[in-house]
Amino acid sequence: MVAILQSPGLPGQADFHAAISSHSDRWLAACLKITRNRDMAEDAVQDALLNAWNKRHQFDNSARLDTWIHRIAINAALQILRKNRPSAFEPIEADIADESDTPERMRAEQELGTTLAAALTHLSEIERVCFVLKHLEQWRLKEIADEINSDVGAVKQAIFRAVRKLRVRMKGLQGE
Amino acid sequence: MNDDTLILYYYNDGLTKRERQQVESAIRSDSALAAHYEALCRELDDISEPDLQAVPSHTLQRWHDSIDRVAQQEQFRQRKPAGSFSLISFGWGAAITAALALGIGIGVYLPNDDPVTSVPAVQIANVDPGGETVVPAAFTRGVKVHLQDTQQDLANLSLDASADRIMLILQIIDQNRLFERAAEQNNSQSLARVLRAFEPILLRLAADDIAPEDAEALRAQLAFELKVMLTKLSRDTSNDRQST
Repeated sequence: MVAILQSPGLPGQADFHAAISSHSDRWLAACLKITRNRDMAEDAVQDALLNAWNKRHQFDNSARLDTWIHRIAINAALQILRKNRPSAFEPIEADIADESDTPERMRAEQELGTTLAAALTHLSEIERVCFVLKHLEQWRLKEIADEINSDVGAVKQAIFRAVRKLRVRMKGLQGE
Repeated sequence: MNDDTLILYYYNDGLTKRERQQVESAIRSDSALAAHYEALCRELDDISEPDLQAVPSHTLQRWHDSIDRVAQQEQFRQRKPAGSFSLISFGWGAAITAALALGIGIGVYLPNDDPVTSVPAVQIANVDPGGETVVPAAFTRGVKVHLQDTQQDLANLSLDASADRIMLILQIIDQNRLFERAAEQNNSQSLARVLRAFEPILLRLAADDIAPEDAEALRAQLAFELKVMLTKLSRDTSNDRQST
């Protein structure tokens, strides 16, 4: 077995293994909601782990390692999404009604597998990302805007549209 | 007062202090608005984190292995005395570098089978809006050379517990990562994942305390996996030729 590497004050291998065992399902779920694609989400977590290890001297010991990796994983997922779908964060000026069940959407619903996840597949990329980061990850509007190279106004509009669509769709799904 | 303002009030974000006070006083003074806001809060509260799905065990193992791998690389670098020089390591390093240069060179510069057009350098290319991609044939040939080199290196690998053996395997892992990244840049996620899948096996083979029979079994497993992969790549290349 590989020897355990541990320096005083730094999270070591054992800490990382413990965090992976106890929280990787949460990291993967968060990344999956951002990317809507399991392979991309798994790659994001993998990248996050390696980044976190390489930057572990920057880790604040008063914080929780799993929370820190969670944040890095979200950033990795956003990066991967941006790389794979360069137009993902372009602002949309108006509501776009899209009720079609495309193969991609059906596959994403199957992968995400929950009522909320199914509803999220009916949002545009920017609406979904802004909503997930605000509502589920509790990021500040300014943080979201900075992360997706946009402005707070565009983020607000994306969230308003997302909430409008989700309220309608969640009611419909819960009623089915 | 519209729902957008109430949504920002709910999130406690995006409103100035003065705007928040205005919302508060409006809700206090208008019972219909208060009821409407309560309903909105309930709906938003209901949009909650779904049940978590368990991570597949092979994925979980890959993440654990990746931490062991970077930790071992780091440990190895720390253990190696600064300024020491090993002729054997240098030889292996030079050989690997040459093989990598050749692999990348072939991947980047080999002319296509098409006698008229030449293959461009490996880059993010051939991406269609639907995400389906075509991996450049020259890149596939580069990967094949890399896998053949790895096959050869592993066949010649001494299974004793020397630092040179560990060094060589870690270099193979690094080299593998370069091709994995190149595959990602060519939007060939499946090829990247296959290359990544070699890493845990290589990592176990690099362990300090591996028993000789376990090392031999891992080497045999790798030889088999590499052979399967090379056959598949050859078949795909052949199919591509036939279809063009």
